Amino acid sequence: MYYVSNATRHTKGDYMREALKKIIILPIAAGLLYFILFPEATFGAAAKIRHLLSVYSDNKGEDPVPLRQPEGVGCNENMLLVADSGNGRLLRYALKDEGITSAEEIKVPQLTYPLKVRINSKGDIYTLDGKQRRIVHIGPDGMFRGYVDPKGLPSPEEYVPKSFAIDTDDNIYILDIFSARVLVLTPSGEYLRQIKFPEKFGFFSDITVDFKDDILLLDSTNARIVSANKQATAFSPVTESLREVIRFPASFISDDRGRIFLVDRNGGMVVALGQDGSFLGQLSQRGWKEGLLNHPSQACLNTKGKLFIADTSNNRVQIFEMLR
Amino acid sequence: MKHYEMSLQFKGCILILVVSALIIAAPAYSENTFKLKPGAGSAICIECHETIQETLKRPYVHSPMKKGECNGCHNPHTSPFGKLLNNDINVLCSECHKNIIPEKSRSIHAVVIEGNCISCHDPHASDNQFVLLKKGNELCVDCHKDLTDVSAKAEFKHEPVEKKKGCLNCHNPHASADAPFLLIKEATVLCKECHRTDEKRFADRHMNYPVANSQCTSCHNPHGSGNRGIIFDGVHTPVAKKECDKCHEGPSSSTPLKAIKDGVELCRSCHSEMINEMYSKAHLHWPLVDNTGCLHCHSPHASRQKMLLKGSIVNLCGECHSDTVRLQEISINNPENTKLCKPVKERDCISCHAPHSSDGPLLATGKSFSFETCDKCHDWQTHSTHPIGEKVIDTRNKNLIVDCLSCHLACGTGNKPAMMPYESTYVLCVQCHEAYKR
Repeated sequence: MYYVSNATRHTKGDYMREALKKIIILPIAAGLLYFILFPEATFGAAAKIRHLLSVYSDNKGEDPVPLRQPEGVGCNENMLLVADSGNGRLLRYALKDEGITSAEEIKVPQLTYPLKVRINSKGDIYTLDGKQRRIVHIGPDGMFRGYVDPKGLPSPEEYVPKSFAIDTDDNIYILDIFSARVLVLTPSGEYLRQIKFPEKFGFFSDITVDFKDDILLLDSTNARIVSANKQATAFSPVTESLREVIRFPASFISDDRGRIFLVDRNGGMVVALGQDGSFLGQLSQRGWKEGLLNHPSQACLNTKGKLFIADTSNNRVQIFEMLR
Repeated sequence: MKHYEMSLQFKGCILILVVSALIIAAPAYSENTFKLKPGAGSAICIECHETIQETLKRPYVHSPMKKGECNGCHNPHTSPFGKLLNNDINVLCSECHKNIIPEKSRSIHAVVIEGNCISCHDPHASDNQFVLLKKGNELCVDCHKDLTDVSAKAEFKHEPVEKKKGCLNCHNPHASADAPFLLIKEATVLCKECHRTDEKRFADRHMNYPVANSQCTSCHNPHGSGNRGIIFDGVHTPVAKKECDKCHEGPSSSTPLKAIKDGVELCRSCHSEMINEMYSKAHLHWPLVDNTGCLHCHSPHASRQKMLLKGSIVNLCGECHSDTVRLQEISINNPENTKLCKPVKERDCISCHAPHSSDGPLLATGKSFSFETCDKCHDWQTHSTHPIGEKVIDTRNKNLIVDCLSCHLACGTGNKPAMMPYESTYVLCVQCHEAYKR
């Protein structure tokens, strides 16, 4: 039996093949295309890291000074900045291929005990001083530029910064644990706006700004994350408690795909989450050997896919490569 | 047609007769089947279980026993549960006593959650109402000796504790839908059932501050105390001296209960020396400088704990550091885990950690979390023949020396032995001595 059209003659087999194409081949092709375009959506963007290097000292001359309890790392494509907390100094290394140069020591009397560090787009350095509980601003030349003291702050004027973040426009976000809010400041420290902490929370330890400039807060004691988008006036939960997969998250970062990396201080590991807060995997483990972590404090990820971790109780900084 | 109708009526009669006969005959049939002796399930049981005969003479008998239904709870032949019970003891009681726990309970007695009803009730019979094992407060003493001791020794007693119903005057023994601590009602409501807050005497005693709706138990010990007004034995000096305005705005203020300063700054007015020292250290316990400050751990008025703490050390630390406290718990509850540090066993976190601030990492009481901290209890230099000390570099990490924390984790390691982070000494040793790896 023949089916006749104006153009060609088709057998029943031809129609069956067409139907098969539509039913099986097209969805597969569409799926493959979707995977190529959105790999993280297809396979949850599982994260893996490879250990590259461990930094044990300032690498200076014949008598390098070892790192002591480093609690902070900041980075960009060309630079690694370490808060060598136990030695009360900052160390700035230039990144070269898979290695680093000797460090330039930044030690100013206004900075006594650096904890978290961040670098803005112009190479300015910001660090939280644990003893003074103030954010210290240091210029790219390594000179003290002043403290970040918000100007034009509405009531209450008291604030205590526990952590801070810097967005792509160099605006500064301060996690103010005293008045339970996030303060948004211009790069020169003028007050822009504030967002109150959510009603119920344990203890917020860290703040970060993701690739969409959404603000994320880390509640360490409840092991959960809340977020507020750029214009929001309140925070809403990203995750429920992550206690099953993490012990005590102390800090976190977000990458250009929206994945979140939590630094588990007590568990000695990094935990990766998807943009929606779903668990992607555990990176590294607790230990003393290279590649393992012991009470890590802060992490930083640069655009070249290098992950730097302040491995505090191991007195070193470790450099990993994100495997895509 | 008529013949057919009669036949239908006839058949209907037969059907009714057969069904009736079956109904009447069914028990007889089943009795015949099991061939039970008269009194099976009750009287026969007692023939062998003689002590039960005596028990049943008591004035309060559990209803299944009263009805002679031993098999209400026990299987006469076999059972996977102890004492030939029909079900797990934790479930069995709730099969009949379904409404013991209100749907949205705010507090539930631990033994009720465990289903351990026989801790308080005799399942057969008792001399006490509700088949309770003991009378009144005597029953509560067995588990809550710390509280009943306070009441017994208190110079100033709280009347309801001593009254006939004792603890049950304020507490529900099973669960409370309305209040914490198994209280029948919220403490503020409950107290006002006996104490008039609208009298001048009440205002005078409270320095004219409007505390009628405040939490009475933030100052008063409901179980009795050595202080007049049953104020907790541990009392903050300004409270003892009735100097409320040292911390609060005046009683005539529009916000009289508001503190005059926020957070740690309020406490600094008197405890400046301590707080200045705290600030001088490299590591601060960060909750101290948020808006709650010292009150995360300390009660501003009075407390049954030393140092005006709000609770036991481990409970306070565990509110935020539940992960570590959980590890401790596992270590302690493992009977094979015999080599535990005393502070871990006693759950005394502040033996090793400074709760306010420290120059050492992780708020260690010493400058390091090893020799200086462990030295308080351990003579580490005689600990083993393994090289240890400032001059011995850890082969795993050139920036570390071999110290106590090279082999042990100080807060407990769950089920791993001797506070080691690995499951055996062998696994620990081959971390460094790789040549001996099997």
